[in-house]
Amino acid sequence: MSVWEVENLSVGFGARPVVEGLGYAIGAGECVALVGESGSGKSQSWLAPFGLSPGQANGSVRLLGHELVGQDEAALRRLRGAHVGFVFQQPLSALTPHLSIGAQLAEKLVAPDPARLEAMLAEVGIDRPAERLKQFPHQLSGGQRQRAMIAMAIAHAPELLVADEPTTALDASLRHDILLLLDRLRRERGMAVLLVSHDLASVARHADRVVVMRQGRMVESGAAGAIFQRPCADYTRDLVAATPRLDMPVPPLPDIGAALLEAGNIVVRFRRPGWRGGWIDAVKDVSLRICEGEAVALVGGSGSGKSTLARAIARLGPLEGGAVRWRGVVLPGRNAMKPGDRKGFQPVFQDPVDSLDPRWPAWKSVEEPLLRLRPELDTMMRREKVAAALGEVGLDAELAERRPGALSGGQAQRVALARALVSDPDLLILDEATSALDVSVQARIVALLQDIQRRRRLALLFISHDLALVRQLCHRVVVLDRGEVVEAGDTRSLIESPRHPVTRRLVEASQ
Amino acid sequence: MRGPLLLLGLLVAAALLGPLLLAWPYDAIDWNAIRAAPGSPGHPLGTDGVGRDLLARALVGTRVTLMVALAAAVTSLLIGVAWGATAGWIGGKTDEAMMRIVDALYALPFMFVVILLMVLFGRSILLVFLGIGAVEWLTMARIVRGQTLSLKQRGFVDAAEAAGQSGGAILIRHILPNVAGIALAYLMLTVPQVVMVESFLSFLGLGVQEPLTSLGILVKEGADEMVTSPHALILPGLLLVGLVVSLTLVGEALRRRFER
Repeated sequence: MSVWEVENLSVGFGARPVVEGLGYAIGAGECVALVGESGSGKSQSWLAPFGLSPGQANGSVRLLGHELVGQDEAALRRLRGAHVGFVFQQPLSALTPHLSIGAQLAEKLVAPDPARLEAMLAEVGIDRPAERLKQFPHQLSGGQRQRAMIAMAIAHAPELLVADEPTTALDASLRHDILLLLDRLRRERGMAVLLVSHDLASVARHADRVVVMRQGRMVESGAAGAIFQRPCADYTRDLVAATPRLDMPVPPLPDIGAALLEAGNIVVRFRRPGWRGGWIDAVKDVSLRICEGEAVALVGGSGSGKSTLARAIARLGPLEGGAVRWRGVVLPGRNAMKPGDRKGFQPVFQDPVDSLDPRWPAWKSVEEPLLRLRPELDTMMRREKVAAALGEVGLDAELAERRPGALSGGQAQRVALARALVSDPDLLILDEATSALDVSVQARIVALLQDIQRRRRLALLFISHDLALVRQLCHRVVVLDRGEVVEAGDTRSLIESPRHPVTRRLVEASQ
Repeated sequence: MRGPLLLLGLLVAAALLGPLLLAWPYDAIDWNAIRAAPGSPGHPLGTDGVGRDLLARALVGTRVTLMVALAAAVTSLLIGVAWGATAGWIGGKTDEAMMRIVDALYALPFMFVVILLMVLFGRSILLVFLGIGAVEWLTMARIVRGQTLSLKQRGFVDAAEAAGQSGGAILIRHILPNVAGIALAYLMLTVPQVVMVESFLSFLGLGVQEPLTSLGILVKEGADEMVTSPHALILPGLLLVGLVVSLTLVGEALRRRFER
């Protein structure tokens, strides 16, 4: 008997269906991955039958033979509580901030005793479990929090574990570890696992079967390896092709010219909050050089200081020591920067919607850099430049009238890219500019970047944690760990023969 | 929100247009009808002890109260937004110092301060709303500062800096327009508070001066003769309650909309 059986399931909000005709089954000890872009209905397809969303489920969903569709709230709660564990995307918001990990874990047990709680944390691979039990969610790292969440989800030995984007909020090397942990638990306990994700490549290695969803419908389903190696449906093929891999061919990169930006011995420190004070060294004595037309990748895990370094270089953050030269001339301090000093380089940020003024139509955001950086242009010329930039990033003129709230993530990032390009800079500083986007949207943005890079001979400082992506765009890679450069070199040899353990982990995670 | 908005609209329209439609102005004395009962010819709600039309006085009183409240609320908006946005935008030690000043002013028993001002400089309607506005801006400053601090972290502010915009330009182009919605919602919540303060000062005899009147004065006069002519208390009382309740409900609805 299957642990989890879905048959002809549809979910609707009022008259609008978000899931239609979905069917699959998970047996004990099996892992099925539900894959699709945001808005494909993959989360609603399990939230609604469990009564966890206002969506109306129809069809049949059976948990250990019990029908879920049509049950009242009390019955659903009993079934959820007895047989299912849940792991969500954001461990920080899924944990209660004012209770210690131990207290939250104890809630799951009838008779909690410290030894049992320690054993539970040890099982999910958390080091020093006795100490961790007394800590609060904000004191744990992202990976540890997700492990704690998993410990809670499996505390009552559920037959089914639902993990909805369990690794999306984590950086690449942690992702791999968490998925390996889920594999091990599944094998040891014979649990059925429903893995919901937008990232086909990373789940394909861990799931037995994959169900690909698009716009609420099942596009393709089958054994994980087969789908990834030989996708049948066009959509799946696009999805597989969109996923950057380390063995994909690399397009030729533009030639490199004279030195553009030289950052020497950069130091950034932050004052530690609280009474005791002290300093945190975010970036320690890092030097970096970018030439005309050259793309340099800055990679590292979260907390490695890569964003802080980029902000310091872009003169948008504090700089404690060192100097930044632009074409040989030392740039002044952040507050003394003239518009002319900023003309050569423009940033693009991770969250596209956050980086556009919510009250402005897209074209106005794109126009903004022209006002101060290119004061010689009049209104008509500005309008032409804006239209040209929007055209270059492939955005319809009709969308330019919209505010960011009415744009999709990919469209908003194109607007942000158009804003960065409109003043004709020589260098773009891209801070995780593609990591908040769906895989297929990311692929289109990266293709666009490659195109612009070649056409304009644009230099890039590309900050990322995904080496497969970096490989397609960058000449050189600089690996950062705890504020220090641990390895640097040309992309090819660094990926083929990584020397430092941090680099090795990043390469492994991108495989 | 439709109900409160309708009530508010009705009250404002009555206060602005009502007196024009009445036979007797608010300050004219009808020697033939002193202390007339409601329903007397020409005086639908009767007259007061010196023969002035009560309905006209109530409507004009509403108008004065609203005016004072609006003026004071706008004063509080201007000071509060300027102070809060400056503190939040500059940040650091300046922010600390500016917000400690706000805290210190909060600690003052402000009713005493206003009364003291009245006693020192004499009673004037200008002083009433300046005094009130100068105290009511404190909450506004805190709200605007908080919003500014969180907006400062947003990507579009960084992008504007990278686009060569100066700090002042970013404040005016990006921060203030994004604060405006919530500031206006709180402005709507300040108005009923000021209505209450003004009425209280007038009740104590420190508000506007005779023959001009306000809801507070009318309530006080009505209360003096509560036993003999209760209607003189009931109408201004109802107007005051209606005004405060409708303003508060409209303000709450606006606040919820902007706070998401």
